[in-house]
Amino acid sequence: MSGVLIAFEIVLLLPLFIGTWRISLLGLSCQGFLMAWIAFHHGLHLSLDTAVEIVDLVLLRAIAGPALLYWVLLRQNAPRRNDVIAPNLLSWAMALALVLVAFRVADVLVTTEGDAQTWVGVAASALLLGLLVLGTRTGVFSQMVGALRIENAIALFELADAHHSSVGVRMGQTAVYLGSIALFRWYLVHLAGEPEAPATPHPPAL
Amino acid sequence: MTTLSTPIAAHETDAPPAPFAAPWVLLAVAAIQAALAVIVAFTVKGEARLAWGYLRPDATARLFLVVIDVIFLGIAAYVWNRSRSEPTLRGVVSQFTWLSLAFMVASNVVVLSNHLIVGWTALETTTLLAAPLIVRPGVPSSRRASWRYFLYSSVGLALVLLGFACLARSLEINGHVPTYFTDDLSTLVSGPPNLWRRIGLALVFLGYGTKLGLAPMYSWLPETYDEAPPAVTALLAAVQFNCALICLIRVLQVYRSGNRELVATELLAIGLASMAVSTVSIIATRNVKRLVAYASINHAGVIAIGLAIGKSAAYGVLLYVVSNAFIKAILFLTVGKIKAHYGTKDTREIAGLIKDLPYSGLFLMVGTFALLGFPPFGSFLGELIILSGLVRAKQIFVFVIFCALITMTFVATGRTVFPMIWGQPKKKVTWPRQTLPGATPKLAFLVALVVMGIYMPQAVDALFRAVAATLGAE
Repeated sequence: MSGVLIAFEIVLLLPLFIGTWRISLLGLSCQGFLMAWIAFHHGLHLSLDTAVEIVDLVLLRAIAGPALLYWVLLRQNAPRRNDVIAPNLLSWAMALALVLVAFRVADVLVTTEGDAQTWVGVAASALLLGLLVLGTRTGVFSQMVGALRIENAIALFELADAHHSSVGVRMGQTAVYLGSIALFRWYLVHLAGEPEAPATPHPPAL
Repeated sequence: MTTLSTPIAAHETDAPPAPFAAPWVLLAVAAIQAALAVIVAFTVKGEARLAWGYLRPDATARLFLVVIDVIFLGIAAYVWNRSRSEPTLRGVVSQFTWLSLAFMVASNVVVLSNHLIVGWTALETTTLLAAPLIVRPGVPSSRRASWRYFLYSSVGLALVLLGFACLARSLEINGHVPTYFTDDLSTLVSGPPNLWRRIGLALVFLGYGTKLGLAPMYSWLPETYDEAPPAVTALLAAVQFNCALICLIRVLQVYRSGNRELVATELLAIGLASMAVSTVSIIATRNVKRLVAYASINHAGVIAIGLAIGKSAAYGVLLYVVSNAFIKAILFLTVGKIKAHYGTKDTREIAGLIKDLPYSGLFLMVGTFALLGFPPFGSFLGELIILSGLVRAKQIFVFVIFCALITMTFVATGRTVFPMIWGQPKKKVTWPRQTLPGATPKLAFLVALVVMGIYMPQAVDALFRAVAATLGAE
C-alpha cells in the first residue's frame, strides 16, 4: 500500500513544478486512478456500493472531470503554460514545507507507524497543497485545479474509513460531484475563454 | 391595481402574448409548500423518523420549515408580480421557477435531515442550483460573482465533509461504530473530546462558517449578494443562510449535549471578527445592496456569539435568526426595486424615497429600523436577550466590544440610509404607480416581524422554546 501512497504523493507534487495545464489535468486523472487502485486493494466487495464508488473514482474523478476541462481548454487554444502555483523558489519551498507539515500532523494523529500514518500524511498534504493552489492563484483554471485537488484529498481520506454510507447517500455524493464538474466546465467556457461582452447599461432583473 | 408597462401595451396591437405558466406554477407550488410546512409544524407531535430514518421532523426542523417556506412564498409572489409588470423577464422567470423549486426541495431536505451527510448533500445541491441563478444575462460581473460563490461554497463544504470524516474517525478510536445519524450520535459522543473530534469540529465550523459568510471566509458574500438579482439574493440570504445555520445547529445539538463549553471560544472569536469586518465595511461602502450584505455578515457574527453563549441566550438567538430572515427578505427585495427605479446602487444618488417611491421608502425605513434592532421588532428582543446572556455568562469584555460595534454599525447605517429615505429628491422621475400586490409579500414579512416583537402566539412560542432547549436554554 505504501508504494501506491508514495506514487500518489509524487502525482500531487509533480504538476506543481511542471507548469502546463495538460500536466495538471493528467495529475488529477492519475489521482483518480490511484484512488481506485487503493480502494480495490482495501477490501472492496462486489456490491452496488462498490459500483458507485468505482464510477465515482474512475469514471468521474479520473476520466470525466479532467477530460471535460481538457476539451474546453483545447477548443479555447489555451497557452501551453499554466502554473498552478507561482513559478519561484519561495512557492516551491512552501509546497515542500507543507508536505513536511502534513506528515508531522499525521505523526501526531496516528501514533503507530505504518500505512495508516502514511495514508493520513498523504491525504493531509493533498489538502494543504490544494489550499496552496487556491490561495496563491486567481486564474479560473488554477482555482478549479485547487478545488478538485481538495475534493480528491477528501476522497482519499474517506477511503480509509472502514464504515461505508448507504448506497443512496453515496449516490447523492457522486451526483453532487458530477454537478460540480459540469458547473466547472460551464465556468471555464464562460469565464476563461470568451472575451467579455460589453454590459448593457441596466438590464432588468428579477 | 395592477400596473402594465409599455412592452405589454405594444403587444396589444400584435398577436396576443402566449400564455406564461411558469410564474403561476411557482406561486401555486410555493403556496402549497408553505401550507404544508405550517400544517407539519403545528400538528406533528413527537419526533418520528421518516424515510428510513434519514428525515426527522423535530422541533428545529418544524420551526425552520415554516420560516423558509413562508419566505419562499413571499419571494414567489414578488417574482410573480415582476413577471406581470416586466414581460421581458419571461426567460429569466422561467429559469428561476424550475431552479428555485428544485432549490426548495433540497432546502426542505436540509431542514428535515437527520443524517449529517444527507444534510450536507442537500446543502451542496442548493449551491449547485443557486449558482446559475446568480448569473444575469448580459452582465459579465455577475458570472464572476457566481464563480466566486460556487468556489467558496464548494471549498467550504468540502472542509465540512472532511470534518465529518474526522468525527467518524474519533468515534472509531473511542470504540464505536461510526454513524452520521444525528439522533444516534447524541448517545455516542459523551466524554472528553479527542484530537480527531477537535479537528473535525474545527473543520465543520470553518466550512459552515464560510456558507454563513462568517470571517475569515466571507469575501464571496458581498459580491454575490450585490450582483445577483434581488429575488435570488433574498433566496440566498433568507433561505440558504438558514439551511446552512440549521446544519451548524445540528452539529452543536449533538456535540455540545454533554459539554456546553465546547467550541464556545472559537464561536465567540469568529463572531466578533465577523462583526468587526462588517462594521468597517458598512462605514466604507456607498453601495446600498452591499450595505445590506455587510449587515448580513454582522448578523451572522451576532448569531455566532449567541450560539457560543447558549443557555439564557438560546431563545434570543432563535428570535434573532428568524427575525433576520424576514428583515433580509424585505430589504433585498426593496433594494432591488430601488435599483430598478434609479438605475444605480450608489447611496449618494438616491434621495427622497419616501416621496418618490412611498412603498419602497417605507419598507427601507422599517427594514432599517428592524436591521438596527429597534423595538417593536423581533430583532430588538432577540438582541436584548443575547446581550443579557453575555452579562449573565460574565463575558463583559465581549459585551463591551459587541456594544461598541453595534453602535458604530448603527451610526454608519443611519448616516447612509436616512438621507436616502428623507433627503430632498435629486431628480424628477416618472415611474409607474407602485401596486399593492407588489408590496404584499414585504407587508406580510413586516407583520411577522412585529408579531415576533410584541406578541408571540402560544403555539409559535412553544416551538421556539423547544428548539432553544436543544441549544441548552435554561
